[in-house]
Amino acid sequence: MKRVYAKTTAAAVGAVAAVAVTALLSGAQAQGLDAARQMIEEHRAKPVFSAPGPAFDAKSCAAGKRVLTIPVSSANPFTKNIALAMIEAGNEAGVEVTEWENQAQPSQWVQGINFAINEGFDLIDLLGGVDPSVIVPQIQAATGAGIVVKTSHFYDLTQTPHESVDGAVPLSFYKVGQILANWAISQTDGKANVVIIGSDEIVPTAPFVQGIRDTLQANCPDCKEVAYINAPVPEWATKIQPSVQSALLANPDVNYLIPIYDSMSQFVVPAVRVAGKTGQVNIATFNGTPFVIDLIQQGQVEMDVGESLGWIARGILDSHMRTLCGLAEPAELNVPFYIFDSSNANDAGTPADYDRGYGDVHVSGFRTLWGLE
Amino acid sequence: MAEGTEVSAKEKGVDWLLVLEKYALILAWIALIVVFAFVAPSSFLQWPTFSSIIFGSQAVLVVLTLGLIIPLTAGDFDVSVAAVLTFSAMILAVLNAKMGLPLWQAVLACLAMGLIVGFLNAFFIIFFRIHSLIVTLGTASVIQGLILWISSSQTLSGVSPGLIDWVIVNRLFDIPLAFYYAMALGVIIWYVFEFTPIGRRLLFVGRGREVARLSGISVVRVRGVALVASSVIATLAGIINVGTTGGADPLSGLTFLLPAFAAAFLGATSIVPGRFNPLGSIIAVFFLVTGITGLNFLGVDTFVQNMFNGAALILAVSLSQLVRGRKEQGLT
Repeated sequence: MKRVYAKTTAAAVGAVAAVAVTALLSGAQAQGLDAARQMIEEHRAKPVFSAPGPAFDAKSCAAGKRVLTIPVSSANPFTKNIALAMIEAGNEAGVEVTEWENQAQPSQWVQGINFAINEGFDLIDLLGGVDPSVIVPQIQAATGAGIVVKTSHFYDLTQTPHESVDGAVPLSFYKVGQILANWAISQTDGKANVVIIGSDEIVPTAPFVQGIRDTLQANCPDCKEVAYINAPVPEWATKIQPSVQSALLANPDVNYLIPIYDSMSQFVVPAVRVAGKTGQVNIATFNGTPFVIDLIQQGQVEMDVGESLGWIARGILDSHMRTLCGLAEPAELNVPFYIFDSSNANDAGTPADYDRGYGDVHVSGFRTLWGLE
Repeated sequence: MAEGTEVSAKEKGVDWLLVLEKYALILAWIALIVVFAFVAPSSFLQWPTFSSIIFGSQAVLVVLTLGLIIPLTAGDFDVSVAAVLTFSAMILAVLNAKMGLPLWQAVLACLAMGLIVGFLNAFFIIFFRIHSLIVTLGTASVIQGLILWISSSQTLSGVSPGLIDWVIVNRLFDIPLAFYYAMALGVIIWYVFEFTPIGRRLLFVGRGREVARLSGISVVRVRGVALVASSVIATLAGIINVGTTGGADPLSGLTFLLPAFAAAFLGATSIVPGRFNPLGSIIAVFFLVTGITGLNFLGVDTFVQNMFNGAALILAVSLSQLVRGRKEQGLT
């Protein structure tokens, strides 16, 4: 009799424990799902301007200063258009911004720095991928000549800039990773099985991917990272498609592909199509490149986190002018992340254009901040 | 003396080492499939693995390689093929997706571009007697500039869905049609190489220009035809590339150059050892992609793919050289 009683008690305790654990788990799951949805809603809303620091009189303290911006490549429309928008914004604020035209060759970046030294520029901006570690002697020569050297839109907030530069205007790639992971979580109701496609040689890739991983772990106990594919940029055309196809066939439960840089989509979309997974696997990505927003309009990519190039340009210039005026610099680049999906992709134009669809509150916002209005 | 040698070869019977060399790549391919089938039976040993990955996704590389082996056989290097491929893809995307021209007109424009580039290559190589490597390197660079110019350095998407349907969406035995286009081209080139006078002349010209000229072969014409053919076939590869990706970008197509050369050289160790041959090239592409796919299924890091490609090429060519008694070989 005692035995039966003990067995019954043990069973009851076990059942209660199981129910409690399940309740706890489902509670955690619901909480994670709510957190994911909340972040997504925040980034679906049209961007609003919030000042990156106190207002200052740019005309009086930065006027006459000269900035040389060296984009990672003038053939890359993303960095090229940021450079052009910086020149335009600089004209408004009285700062002379010059772009050093190049085609992603470190030897050309070296020429740009030597040009800045010879011409007596006040600040050199290494924009959107110029890695200071490959041109250290030239940076040292520039800083030795009294020129401030800063990187922009290159490091993640969590990364320490190379010791050779005077400062950086970092971007939270980690946060973009969080947005992408939360998108997959919320769209699958907490059942995302993702394949991440990255390029490890790009400096901010590691914190970017970490943002995805941490978020999946924190907000989604039932989600999993099925595979990580590392495809170096020069091999995107030959490596991404077969690797993604293999991952899809080897793991039939994959429902999200996250190519972390959206130009990868060109090779991910055919991989989904050839693997016969159209409609079963969705693509979420980052950059807001026009052709990828076109792919959203065509229903081949589900979402793209974009940044306004005009906003990036003004955010970078704001940081540089504060440096030149001896003011405290903002901790990160002032630019909001905005989600494009089928509901708003047409706002970017048909075909999509750079810098369309984000609104223009940043233009008057920065003008007011700089004392121009 | 020659007669005597022939008789002694006949007396010896079949040279099994040479037969083995001929089919070694096929055997290695089968061995690779067997190994992966054992290691990852549930994922690798499925028809979709072969239909969509191994056969279905390499048409661009196969077509480009097939084009490349034509001037290689005639003794010329054409390193502009990948640039022509990318240019063709971009012209198609600009004309069709951006300017709204019908697909057939855009395709004709691509083919015309291929013809022009081929003629220009041939003109500078043959008339000025400049090494093909130098001329095609220059042409490739000019074309890359033109690509950046006409594309404004942007990736373009939105080509007619009809092209995508007829390249990768429509299938036969679950294999995208692009595979059959590549195979058809392979059969045509194989027929031309093996059974037509121009095929034989290509080989003679490649083996010894002076001897070919003294034998009455129009070396100029043969080399010219080969260079034009490789450019035109590269434009076809570009069209298939657009049909595969649905768009075009200014840079990524250029990365097909080295894999195409690797497949051509690897293919030259098989089927007709010592000669660039279409069947060997096709098998080489599938051998390499099988290895990479298997490694993908095993979850091996992607850098291993590069090592596999390079090691396979060096090993195959080295073994082939051993079989031939390590005779000195020219590049072509």
